[in-house]
Amino acid sequence: MPANQYDAIIIGAGHNGLIAGAYLARAGKKVVVLERREMVGGAAVTEEIFPGYRFTEFSYVVSLLRPEIIRDLELPRHGLKILPLPSTVTPMDNGDYLAAWPDHEPTRREIYRHSPRDAEAADEYGRTMARAAKAIKPVLSLVPPDPSSMSVRDMLGLIKLGQYARSLSEKELYRIAKLVTQSSADLLNEWFEFDPLKGTKSASGIIGTFLGPHSPGTAYVLLHHYMGEIDGAFRAWGFAKNGTGGVTAAIAASARALGAEIRTGASVKQVIVKGGRAAGVALDNGDEFHAKVVMSAADPKRSFLSFVESKHFPDDFVEQIKNFRVRGSSGKVNIALSELPQFTCLPGESPLHRGAISISPSMDYIERAYDEAKYGQCSKNPYIDMIIPSMIDRDMAPPGHHVMSCFVQYAPYDIEGGWDDSKRDAFGETVISTIERYAPNIRRAIVGKQVITPKDIERIAGITGGNIFHGELLLHQLFFLRPAPQWADFRTPLPGYYFGASGAHPGGGVMGAAGKMAALEVLKDWHG
Amino acid sequence: MSGRDVIVIGAGLNGLVAANYLAKAGKKVLVLERRALAGGQAVTESFGGGFQADALHAGGQLRPDIVADLDLQRHGLPNSASEPLISLLGDGRQLRLSADSDTETLASIGVFSKRDAERWPEFVAFMNEAAGFLDAAYRTPMPRLPHVSLAEGLPLARLATKLRGLGSRNMFRVIRALPMSALELGEEWFESDIVRAAIGAVAVHGATLGPMSAGAGYALMHNWLNRGGPGHRRVAGGVGRIADALVAALKARGGEVRISAPVQKVLADDQRARGVRLVSGEEIAASIVISGADPRHTLLDLVGAPDLPPEFVWATQSIKMRGSVAKVHLLTDGAHVLPSGTLVVAPSIRYVERAYDAAKYGQTSLEPYLEITANGRVVSVHFQFAPYSLREREWSQERAVLERIAIDTAAGFLPRLKSSIREIRSLTPLDLESTYGLTEGDLNHGQLILDQMLFMRPMPGWSTHKTPIDNLYLCGNGVHGGGGLSGGAGRNAARAVLKGA
Repeated sequence: MPANQYDAIIIGAGHNGLIAGAYLARAGKKVVVLERREMVGGAAVTEEIFPGYRFTEFSYVVSLLRPEIIRDLELPRHGLKILPLPSTVTPMDNGDYLAAWPDHEPTRREIYRHSPRDAEAADEYGRTMARAAKAIKPVLSLVPPDPSSMSVRDMLGLIKLGQYARSLSEKELYRIAKLVTQSSADLLNEWFEFDPLKGTKSASGIIGTFLGPHSPGTAYVLLHHYMGEIDGAFRAWGFAKNGTGGVTAAIAASARALGAEIRTGASVKQVIVKGGRAAGVALDNGDEFHAKVVMSAADPKRSFLSFVESKHFPDDFVEQIKNFRVRGSSGKVNIALSELPQFTCLPGESPLHRGAISISPSMDYIERAYDEAKYGQCSKNPYIDMIIPSMIDRDMAPPGHHVMSCFVQYAPYDIEGGWDDSKRDAFGETVISTIERYAPNIRRAIVGKQVITPKDIERIAGITGGNIFHGELLLHQLFFLRPAPQWADFRTPLPGYYFGASGAHPGGGVMGAAGKMAALEVLKDWHG
Repeated sequence: MSGRDVIVIGAGLNGLVAANYLAKAGKKVLVLERRALAGGQAVTESFGGGFQADALHAGGQLRPDIVADLDLQRHGLPNSASEPLISLLGDGRQLRLSADSDTETLASIGVFSKRDAERWPEFVAFMNEAAGFLDAAYRTPMPRLPHVSLAEGLPLARLATKLRGLGSRNMFRVIRALPMSALELGEEWFESDIVRAAIGAVAVHGATLGPMSAGAGYALMHNWLNRGGPGHRRVAGGVGRIADALVAALKARGGEVRISAPVQKVLADDQRARGVRLVSGEEIAASIVISGADPRHTLLDLVGAPDLPPEFVWATQSIKMRGSVAKVHLLTDGAHVLPSGTLVVAPSIRYVERAYDAAKYGQTSLEPYLEITANGRVVSVHFQFAPYSLREREWSQERAVLERIAIDTAAGFLPRLKSSIREIRSLTPLDLESTYGLTEGDLNHGQLILDQMLFMRPMPGWSTHKTPIDNLYLCGNGVHGGGGLSGGAGRNAARAVLKGA
């Protein structure tokens, strides 16, 4: 095979692109993964923004990564090490806190302290959600059939789906139907009374969406985040040794070991189309790569509106991709600290510092944060999900010093007047002053901070709209509608061009399912 | 104690429709109405001083198949005509929307966007298709899942075929539109925020949702189906005449309606209904009892939690009601010079969304979304959002605030209105509950949200109109096919009863 001639080209070395590359290489294909940046990882990268302080820049926890991928690609052998994230704590305005652990009993006692009624409910709620998540999991690893199609493959898919539905008990089926359609506020109000508990649980229903807890559909997002917590591989949410960059580094190592080639600094300009088929890609620098198959692991907008001239797609398809919602709603503030943040509710160094710290005192708090965002402003009192990686992995910061990762919602991509440096500074300041209310020493402890707006996510990680899921997990953007009706099976209207990223089924998080499933579909078609 | 085949609780439209279907099938039917007049939500009533108005709904229409089945034209069913929706804008301009896509409508839209004017007829065609599908879904019995018998499965299969019959393009358009927000849907069709806002207003009418809430797309289809377009269907002589026609038809079929006969309890022996007891103490026996009251009132008050399975009680308590509609009726001197049509105050998407925000936190909207309809000297204002559950205040104090906000807001768009007002009669969500028997003031007996539709209405597993009490059925707006003045739930319930019997 001549140079620059491959079986498959994969655009983007994020976790999905790397996983797809690894699976294709594993099947003996000659694969190259092309990455625009000088480093692999996409939105799962660890960077030393300030000397000695390593930030897990965008995504920051792991739990959704499919266990079979970890096994198939032997990621532990390639350096993947997941450290447990042992707890979540929600500081309260009265100086107290609400904590939760993977272990059932201490959590029950902790909730009981605040609300005996909720402690009772929490048991049943946990079991219920776990059952629902388990029940819905098979759908995630299903290639979505096209309900409008008469093809054998789709018909079989629909039948499979019907059999799956009938395999569920009546209770499970209705529970899933409700979870998929309801608002997380309605869901949680049915179960609980204690505001910090409801606020913290509702938060996972809004992450990555541009909705508030009261909006229908958010219960599904909550369930989506629940998936990770029931995976056999590691029960609770985890933090990867060396940050999420450690995850993609391991996947890249595995892909290379399997024979895949990874080129960084290779920014794809366009997909080359020959005889109505994808035949390769051209880079910004003019270099060309040729292959039988091209797969994009970029977001749907870039994959279909920028890499490929729209004349190669039906107008309908182009319109649907244009209508695909990618409204970024969250930002990150990564902070280098000279000392541990002293939370009023956690004096000294508490074991809870090793877990997640959530600013989510109530569902109203989060709903009001959303209200500001939907009118084009950053939340004055945002939801913040913090972890202190240096407490979990000492190598993340110089001895005695710390790094803190703050996921912040809401920060609308379409901020009124557009993002600029002063708005970014104001956003950062809002976050610091919000944290300061709970950890008064934070400001004087700051050695340096990196403020990332949705616009920055777009600019640095190349995700259009800065949405962490490449497209919101809205009901009309899931399963056979993701990224567009009739094209949810990882194929595209352009023969030889495939799509395997968070914008495809089953959606976002450091999950890898899309990359793996897309690769398997490529192999299915290979000899067909 | 005189025996009957069927007792229907509540002479609302659904109760009367169900009663008519059953009487037509030869059953001996008695309808018991709490109030001194029949009609439920479809009442044209006097508020004293020559002040008469359509209390809750400015218009409405029964489903055509019901009108035909029950031969209601012959029993004096009034004509209804669809009227345009007129969106009032602060600067005196107006946007006119009509399903007829008449030149006046297209010209009016064209003022705000030529492109939107061009797209309007296609949008109307799509909405009619979507509403048509929803109507078919509402007519299809929703069995208990997942183990569906062949007999139950066939109608569902026919529904699926109808959906596919739309062609893949429209099929996916409909599927996608259901969970969408009204704003997203509006953005996919129109560029003018004023047009989007008017569509958004139709979507959230009667629902405690904002145009930015996911699922408002379904509410839009539902309201479009009931209205046959963006504007109301005004009923000649008032919506009360729809009920009059149903009562006349029922009497002609040998049925009976007793007014001022509030039911206190559904009587049952070992989980089997045998009749009802009135507040007066009188007991009336019947082999079948059908309730047109909302599911929560029927099951928790008229039956009572002790006689029901705990999980079922919990599910019933969990039905999302949370009404947030209030009405303010104004008797004027007639000099208000209102344009004719369904007037709405919904000048922008953000305006309507902000009005909804207040409801989320248990407050009355300071800048409400209004729907204003004039009927001679009477001007009726539909007010959203006025949440049933106020956080800081009581409705006894809030009534005056509601009336002031309603009048001041309307006056801001209709300058001549204020000076012509003579009398004011308002209905708070609490009045909707106490006077009209609507739990939490919810006109739909349960919010029209995705997790309470089709086979999840009124509750998962109970979409068959049956209840844990044998021979007690539900036929109100809160069950499958219900919502608005369509009578659909009554028709569906009657069919379920006749199948069961």
